[in-house]
Amino acid sequence: MSAGAAASARPQGGALLETRALCRNFGALQVANNVDFRLEAGARHALIGPNGAGKTTFINLLTGVLAPSSGQVLLDGEDVTRLAQARRVKRGIARTFQINQLFRGLSVLENVCIAVAERMGAGGGMLRPAGRRTEVVEEAARLLDTLRLSADAGSRVAELPYGRQRLVEIAIALGLSPRVLLLDEPAAGIPSAESHILLDAIAGLPREIAVLIIEHDMDLVFRFAQRITVMVGGSVFAEGTPAEIAANREVRAVYLGTALDA
Amino acid sequence: MQELAARHRLRWWEALPWVAGLACFFLFPTYLAFGTQVLVTILFALSLDLVLGYAGIVTLGHAAFFGAGAYTVGMLATHLGWTEPLSGLLAAALVAGLIGLLSGWVLLRTHGLTLLMLTLCTMALLEQAANMFSGWTGGFDGMPGLSFKPILGLFEFDVLFFRSQYLYALAVLFACFVVVRALVYSPFGRSLTGIRENVLRMHAVGAPVRARQVIAYAISAALAGVAGAVFVHATGFVNLAVLGLERAAGVLIILILGGHGRLYGAFVGAILYMVLEHTLSKAYPTAWQLGLGLGLMLVALYARNGVFGMADALRRRWSAR
Repeated sequence: MSAGAAASARPQGGALLETRALCRNFGALQVANNVDFRLEAGARHALIGPNGAGKTTFINLLTGVLAPSSGQVLLDGEDVTRLAQARRVKRGIARTFQINQLFRGLSVLENVCIAVAERMGAGGGMLRPAGRRTEVVEEAARLLDTLRLSADAGSRVAELPYGRQRLVEIAIALGLSPRVLLLDEPAAGIPSAESHILLDAIAGLPREIAVLIIEHDMDLVFRFAQRITVMVGGSVFAEGTPAEIAANREVRAVYLGTALDA
Repeated sequence: MQELAARHRLRWWEALPWVAGLACFFLFPTYLAFGTQVLVTILFALSLDLVLGYAGIVTLGHAAFFGAGAYTVGMLATHLGWTEPLSGLLAAALVAGLIGLLSGWVLLRTHGLTLLMLTLCTMALLEQAANMFSGWTGGFDGMPGLSFKPILGLFEFDVLFFRSQYLYALAVLFACFVVVRALVYSPFGRSLTGIRENVLRMHAVGAPVRARQVIAYAISAALAGVAGAVFVHATGFVNLAVLGLERAAGVLIILILGGHGRLYGAFVGAILYMVLEHTLSKAYPTAWQLGLGLGLMLVALYARNGVFGMADALRRRWSAR
């Protein structure tokens, strides 16, 4: 199904991923406070905010790692608030982690194969060897190719430079054929000499995937995003196009300030 | 990509254990009772490798399943006169597997030290049950002097020289090994490795993590039950020792010694441990455990993943030069 068809199939104004009055507190600490958020099909959306603003918590709420204290998460207009993480993945929500979460002892190809096998529903198969599931292995190899990781396919992840490990994070997420891709600080920890590979990879993501990116690198954010949401203290502080956000005095005051003046 | 596609293929050296196993039958005809014990222990260690080495589930109570299989066969023979060995194996696998499924379903919500203690408790519960319900289990004395029908109606169990027991144990080990090997190279087995390597990521790719762990635990329990059943078939007795901490800790040591998560670690570890135990206890009947302890300390300090881990490290150093 193409992005256009998906969009027209939904009622007017329906977002692909949406939260309504989403709240979560850890004791007295309010980490998500009445968050109303919409991610459109095919979106290129960035979520920014100072450290501790609740951005990663928000991703954890979207993916089902955390349950909200109140409020709803909707995927395609359907309430998925009570669905476990694995079920949401099956419905098309994939994520990457701020700090690499990879199978460090396994090869790059195998890292992606595990994800692809799970998506194809072959992850629990006991009879045929994993290496003979050509449909799984071939798709994983194709993904590595698009991310220019083919040369490292046989290397153990632990032996790769950190920047390339970040790409494996993305390859695993793409192996799940997501409709929504949540990238939690994809460029974190990558030396600037290697960051262009990652930028290219993100720019080259299929158009039909809705991408939400959390990032501190404003250069990347403003180059990539068509919409930006600013989060402060667990609440949505501002939302708009990059131009609107850049022109927003309050945003500049609380957060961007020096980053844009430079 | 070729490497992944070829990894599950058989390599020439994988025939060696079985050739050696058969060779021992002819070379050491007076040691076959000992040899049978080694084979049973290899099978037990192999079952533990599936959960510990592959799925990363640390358990100190795996003898619970060995014992469940052993008592199943013993009680069937004593109370029902059911002494046909192959169906006995099946019954032992079912009972042990079921106990594994139920206990795993409850226990695998926890991990780390909690899980370690709970597996230990499960085994202690079974041991106490076997002790208390002496009308069924023979209590402290167990069930001595069991005899079983010939295997397939053809091969009599050989009380004196253990010839048929040895070959029987070898055949059962081979069959179970084929199953375990297929399992660890299957997507299911790879997903267990994924759970061991990074459970957070496994959740994030949408894998039903706990279900996989429970299934692996149950399969491993069933295999341990088969090992227990072969033990009883071969020796003709059951007592509380099949369920004890000593057996559970011993098999853990064996796996650490040989190297976990690599199939053949169970073979090397079991042979090394039992041959050491056998020769040391002959040479120093009072202090043989000292030698074993020293050996283990060396392994823990210098060979982090057992004999195979050490071999890997040496090979890597060699190829790096």
